[in-house]
Amino acid sequence: MKPDKERKLSKSLVDNREFIKELLGIGVSFDADVRTLRILDTEVDIYFVNGLNDKDHINIVMKELLELNDFEPRTKNVHELIENRLVNNQVEKVDVTYDAITEILSGLIIVIVDGYQEAFAVDTRNYPGRTPTEPDTEKVVRGSRDGYTENIIVNTGLTRRRVRDDNLRFEMLRVGERSRTDVAIAYLKDVVDPGLVGEVRENLKKIDVDGLSMAEKSLEEFVVNQKGNPFPLVRFTERPDVASAHLFEGHVLIMVDTSPSVIITPTTFFHHVQHAEEFRQSPIVGSFVRWVRFFAILFSIFLLPLWLLFVLHPELLPPEMSYIGPNEEGNIPILVQLILADIGVEFLRIAAIHTPTAVSTAMGLVAAILIGEIAIEVGLFSPEIILYVAISAMGAYATPSYELSVANKLARLILVIITAILGVKGLVIGFTLYILYLTKTISLNTPYFWPVIPFNAKALYHILFRVPIPLHKVRPSIVHPQDERRR
Amino acid sequence: MASKQNQEESKRSVFLKSLFCGAAGAFIWGIISSIAYFFSFSEVSHGSFILRSFFSGSWTEGITGELISLAIITVLGVLPALVYYLLMKNLHGVMPGIMFGIGLWVLVFIIMNPMFYYVPTFYDLSSDTIVTTICQFVLYGVFVGYTISYEHHDRRIVANHPQKEA
Repeated sequence: MKPDKERKLSKSLVDNREFIKELLGIGVSFDADVRTLRILDTEVDIYFVNGLNDKDHINIVMKELLELNDFEPRTKNVHELIENRLVNNQVEKVDVTYDAITEILSGLIIVIVDGYQEAFAVDTRNYPGRTPTEPDTEKVVRGSRDGYTENIIVNTGLTRRRVRDDNLRFEMLRVGERSRTDVAIAYLKDVVDPGLVGEVRENLKKIDVDGLSMAEKSLEEFVVNQKGNPFPLVRFTERPDVASAHLFEGHVLIMVDTSPSVIITPTTFFHHVQHAEEFRQSPIVGSFVRWVRFFAILFSIFLLPLWLLFVLHPELLPPEMSYIGPNEEGNIPILVQLILADIGVEFLRIAAIHTPTAVSTAMGLVAAILIGEIAIEVGLFSPEIILYVAISAMGAYATPSYELSVANKLARLILVIITAILGVKGLVIGFTLYILYLTKTISLNTPYFWPVIPFNAKALYHILFRVPIPLHKVRPSIVHPQDERRR
Repeated sequence: MASKQNQEESKRSVFLKSLFCGAAGAFIWGIISSIAYFFSFSEVSHGSFILRSFFSGSWTEGITGELISLAIITVLGVLPALVYYLLMKNLHGVMPGIMFGIGLWVLVFIIMNPMFYYVPTFYDLSSDTIVTTICQFVLYGVFVGYTISYEHHDRRIVANHPQKEA
């Protein structure tokens, strides 16, 4: 049964109590409860869910209310007196039952006074959570070590600390019929493309789902039209400095409560090949790091199919490179070896994610020494296979975006198979389709392969070279900023 | 909003950008073409058309020849972009670019083939060469076409529904 979202609170305290008790299951569910006080001969109910709020704070609020009995004459307006004595900076009035219930379930306390329809929601929230720590996936050698946490209020605070601009907006929405997750859209009002904010807001409001259990990942699939596309259509970050850098550029951030990852939109392919570390180094070094990374990513996609092609068609190699290719074929076909080895590396990666640290040393030993060494000695793999599979695996690990590296892995596997079947034509067609597919992909009305196709010389220069920050004079055109100049 | 003068200005800038992207596209895919030639994916590269058909000598063969013809093809790349700008800039998406690239390939490899002494006729080309060169032309066509249409439409992808103003 869907709750009636419009039902107003009643003026009668008993009516309200019956209704809320039934709805929250007070008495059945142990963590929801109500405390009734008598203040100036009027009954006052305080509803709360323990575990989500600060008990000491609630006690102070109650003490203050009870003191009204000792100091105030009984003739005054109780409702006003109580409002004045709620010791908290965030007190809101609610008169819709559904809103009141949601507030209770979020950890606020609801104070209902007999004879008055309006109730007070007092923010006494205190969620269990961790303090900001450096995110595991985006480490830098030097630089700030704080990262987003699971608490959206802490996250907006961390962002606000870096952007003390009066134009910074955090629009709060609730998503999910049952989870009622808080979602915030963050942007700079005078920079961002209003059409983009509207689009994001619309998409968020359209979501009809019971709960966002996987927080930002579940949300992402609603906001962008992912369908069968393996490529990451938004960028995630857990670093407040990265997030604020994108705010300044005119991007829109989406923050989801219960998740330390913030969604950056709009995103292109090349947002996934950059890393905060480059901006922590001098421009030249940053560019060098970037170029090495580009090669790593290229290798992770194209090295294996290219090598396979040269093994299958050695006549293609120019004479000075003819040493490439295994000296002896081995006992099973090269293609099967290649796929086996590649999937073997994948076994290792998947296993490493959920293997406890205590066991992972043993796992590494078994994988590296036993499988690698012995497979060659037995004659299953030729040594060259191990070399190239290892290089392309390292290339995948050097991809800053984990999601992109997995998508590229999929592309590589397809390229390897199509190359084995069609030879040169397979590799060339596969390469063309890869580029065309990236070009065709659109994320939130943004061409994914920008600035290569569609071509934008200045933006491409900014991607190929890490430009010194003082020369970052204009915002990237891809976000359609209202103000092109950075100021 | 935008005055007439502004519109004129933005039109001119789109025109110049189109020409520039034609040159850049020819440069980028020219490099790819040289690499494909080096690895014998294709029997011909841009050098075969521009240098080896008209000049003979060892300098046309090696890396110098490729670099010289890369410079020439970069300049020549402006022409297809001009044609696309004049005829097809209103079209959307990837498909027109692909068609444009294939059309360009037919023009260069079949219609203009007798001009190029060094390039085998269509029936003598190996299938690998045909596929490789078609792919290069398709990529060049998409590069030029998608860019021009994107610039022409105020740098917007016109998706199924236009963006609403918030």
